[in-house]
Amino acid sequence: MTKKLLDTVFDAPVGRRTFLKGAAATAALPALGALGGTAMAQEAVELTYWAWTPGDPEMVAAFMKAYPNIKINYQNVGQGGPHYQKLRDALTAGSGIPDVAQMEFNSIPSFKALNALADMGTAGANDIKDKFVDWTWKSVSDGDKVYGIPWDSGPMGLLYREDVFSKSGLSAAPETWDEYAEAAMKIAKDSPGSYITDFVGSADAGWVAGVLWQKGWRPFHLDGTNISIKLNDQIAKDWAAYWQKLIDAKAVDTAPAWTADWFAGFDSGKYASWVCAAWSPVLMISAMKTSVGKWRAAKMPQWKKGDYVISNWGGSTFATMAATQHLKEATQFAMWMGGNLETAKYWNQKQYLFPVVKDVLNDPAVLDYKFDFYGGQQVNKIFAEAEAHVDPSFEFAPFQDYVNTHIQDEFAASIGGNGTLADAFDRVQDAIVAYAKDQGYTVT
Amino acid sequence: MAIVGRSGATSASFRRSRWLLTGVLALYFIYTFIPLFYVIAASTKTNPDLFSTFGLWFSSDFHLFENLRDLFAQDRGAFSRWLGNSFFYALCAGVGAALVSTLAGYAFSKYDFAGKRFTYALVLGAVMIPQTALVIPLFLLLSNIKLLDTPWAVILPQLVFPQGVFLMRAYIDDAVSNELIDAGRVDGAGELRIFSSIAFRLMTPAVSTVFVLAFVAAWNNYFLPLVVLNSSEHFPITVGLANWYASAAGGSGGSLLYTVVMAGSLVSIVPVIVAFLLIQRFWQGGLATGAVKT
Amino acid sequence: MQLAEMAATTATTGARPRHSSGTWGRRLAPYLFLLPFLILFVAFLIVPLLYALDLSLWKKALVGGTRFVGIENYQKAFVDAKFWAGVLTLVKFALMQIPVMLGLALLFALILDSGVVYLKGFFRVSFFIPYAVPTVIAALLWGYLYSPVSGPAAQIATALGWPKPDFLNPSTILPSIANIATWEYMGYNMIIYFAALQAIPQDLEEASTVDGAGAFAHAIYVKLPLIVPTILVTIIFSIIGSLQLFSEPYLLINIARTVINSSFTPNIYAYTQSFIGQQYNYAAAISFLLGAVTAVISYVFMLATSRRSAR
Repeated sequence: MTKKLLDTVFDAPVGRRTFLKGAAATAALPALGALGGTAMAQEAVELTYWAWTPGDPEMVAAFMKAYPNIKINYQNVGQGGPHYQKLRDALTAGSGIPDVAQMEFNSIPSFKALNALADMGTAGANDIKDKFVDWTWKSVSDGDKVYGIPWDSGPMGLLYREDVFSKSGLSAAPETWDEYAEAAMKIAKDSPGSYITDFVGSADAGWVAGVLWQKGWRPFHLDGTNISIKLNDQIAKDWAAYWQKLIDAKAVDTAPAWTADWFAGFDSGKYASWVCAAWSPVLMISAMKTSVGKWRAAKMPQWKKGDYVISNWGGSTFATMAATQHLKEATQFAMWMGGNLETAKYWNQKQYLFPVVKDVLNDPAVLDYKFDFYGGQQVNKIFAEAEAHVDPSFEFAPFQDYVNTHIQDEFAASIGGNGTLADAFDRVQDAIVAYAKDQGYTVT
Repeated sequence: MAIVGRSGATSASFRRSRWLLTGVLALYFIYTFIPLFYVIAASTKTNPDLFSTFGLWFSSDFHLFENLRDLFAQDRGAFSRWLGNSFFYALCAGVGAALVSTLAGYAFSKYDFAGKRFTYALVLGAVMIPQTALVIPLFLLLSNIKLLDTPWAVILPQLVFPQGVFLMRAYIDDAVSNELIDAGRVDGAGELRIFSSIAFRLMTPAVSTVFVLAFVAAWNNYFLPLVVLNSSEHFPITVGLANWYASAAGGSGGSLLYTVVMAGSLVSIVPVIVAFLLIQRFWQGGLATGAVKT
Repeated sequence: MQLAEMAATTATTGARPRHSSGTWGRRLAPYLFLLPFLILFVAFLIVPLLYALDLSLWKKALVGGTRFVGIENYQKAFVDAKFWAGVLTLVKFALMQIPVMLGLALLFALILDSGVVYLKGFFRVSFFIPYAVPTVIAALLWGYLYSPVSGPAAQIATALGWPKPDFLNPSTILPSIANIATWEYMGYNMIIYFAALQAIPQDLEEASTVDGAGAFAHAIYVKLPLIVPTILVTIIFSIIGSLQLFSEPYLLINIARTVINSSFTPNIYAYTQSFIGQQYNYAAAISFLLGAVTAVISYVFMLATSRRSAR
């Protein structure tokens, strides 16, 4: 019965993406219905859940089958920014706050600062902590306090066009950033009109944070109401100098990102690589038409040869809001959505989110899968290994959105001719320090 | 209303002017139509074709019906719900705003009363306050009276249409003569009777104009419903399509919905055109009667 | 206010409502007619306005909560370079966009009203259609047309060997946005002018024997002056609309990052301060300051025009 229900859902036209065929995929479905084991006869509870990731309605339906006493009212109130805005609006009004909400890793500090997140540790969340990749659990918890159940992650790596690289005599992916810069110069010379990549600093502060994280950038540290802000330290300046050189030499483009043109640029070979995250390979597959088979995946370039330092870009968690009247049920829901093995498999196999549950990550069906789009490469293995090397010590600001806007604005100004990227960091530092002081923090 | 004179109809220079002026209008029409043509062409393409073929012409793969099917199937038929919502909000807002504005415009035009200048100036002044200033307070107000996330949250604020009041006042000044009203009073008719049976008939072109303008303003409204609505089932198409577009252009977890958004955009434009064509009728008729003065 | 007077008086008989010590119904009538509008106006415009005013006098910090700060937010906004840069941008925008849009609207309204062209109804509908297109969609479409790689202008230019037009650099961004606004709102203003022209009573028109050229002069010297009040109303609303510009540039930010930033127009600035910086109080102050600037500019305009138009 359940299989039939879920099958008809999965056969819907837009959801048909069968890149990860596997017996495991279809075999998992009937099992989802048989999960009612842990649910006991309890009072009926109704929860509201806000999230934007596709696949939510299906999993919510499956959860309700497993826990018949809990009814979930699912809403997609916007993707990213608008979703958080709605949360903030609801918190301001003091009403209309959902019980559970999608919460990206980088937004947790902001909502923690608003005292908006419930501690799921008190409702038993720590029971499943060993199921998750270590650094992801560290990022959502504070000792025994648990503010989110990890959902998916984005360990960083490199996707590159093998054909464009070969044209410049580069047979393997660059292993260090120095090699990457050299490759950039070569490609600009050998393939006019092509760039090794598009520098997206003015469009995507999330990417900026990701790549700087890898270099050791730790701009924020919050301790109560004391905050240390080091946005323009030497690490940032060196990084800025690196990219400034490439921009000035016209070895990288500075066009806007996340537009139709941008995707077309990857497809046509105008952009020969993308320093990206574990959710990127599948995104590429659905976005490209003509470059099938020409892409390869590789480890993220390192600053020192032989290193294996990886950062994370993106990824979400299931957070319970402090205003909930049903902490226990909300926690059960969050734990099931993130930690239940079959659910985690669904997120990976049907929605192509990069898994954070160890059992899914280490499943041979996932690791060994050969992607035609990537010339038969076992892409998941590369990112799975990367995931194990993510250094979790990066802290986002309790006002990260504001910081991101400033980074994007100032990078845009610099690219537009107002100084260098290094100058941009100085401007951002000044603005953010002023803002933090204005908001009552003691800035060190 | 034509200025065509008795002997001028067939003169060569007149015919030349006629073609010249039509040509001018035609040129502007081409300019107006370019983005619309893009939507039409884009709605017929597949996702990859959308990015690789020439934008202003069709591709060899005609996919319109598939895109329309995807559009209405997406998210369990969300688009039909959104379309219905947009219609409902726009219709209520349009009728309501037209009615309310007409009554107010009539008051300003045909009466002298204490506080008239002040009120009129107040209405004009309030229009100068940017909408962004009002959104958050409006949100909090609606939340307090528990109307948040309901159709009323979208409809009620849009019944306030100051441009409609100004337009009605200016039109009534011209179209409804005081002699007519005084005649009604002499006949013993009450004020409301005079308004509804004598004056209103003369106002229909302007009332229908205000209706159309208010309807379209409500149809297009994005910001207000974005803030006051949470549930997808209440979204109008503007908010719904923008959501899908954000998913299409977004990163982790989003699927590429560009063709669906294009098809949705096409469908969004059609009803208003139809509404406008229907209203045309009132224009033609009303103008003939309204233009004849005693 | 002078505008009220100008809009109120007509070109024809200067119809002034007569006042007589009449019946209860007669005295009460204006208030009753006005009541529905006033109730809604107060509830959904005045009350939020007052609340926003209140908001602008406080300050809420992430650490330390909310405290009363009086006019501090306004003082800060008054010397805020980003705010004034935005205002300047919009003044330039208005000077560029309003004459073109209203000029075209007037021209087309006169042409259509004259009855001299073919397919009147068709043009009337089709010119209005852009107004019926939601701004979100219009920005999407024009964003594509402006696209430097896959836009048709770029494609045609490449095919012909011409340099690619750049619609999104610092010197072309304002005209590009002005173009979108004109495309959207020309039809709206045209319809307003058209309705006003059609409302001119026929007995004022001379059924003279005119051919093409004469009809033109007739339009300019006879009809145009009769709709001056309507034109002035549309100019005022266009000025107000220009100074409040938000949607079109905001929706283009994604494809024009290096030219449109978070303070490109004062409204975008207020929006990002509220919704991204959580600075609702400061944003409210910015909005009111913008309202004040708008009021000043509108008032100056009205003074300037009332002196010229003999009423």
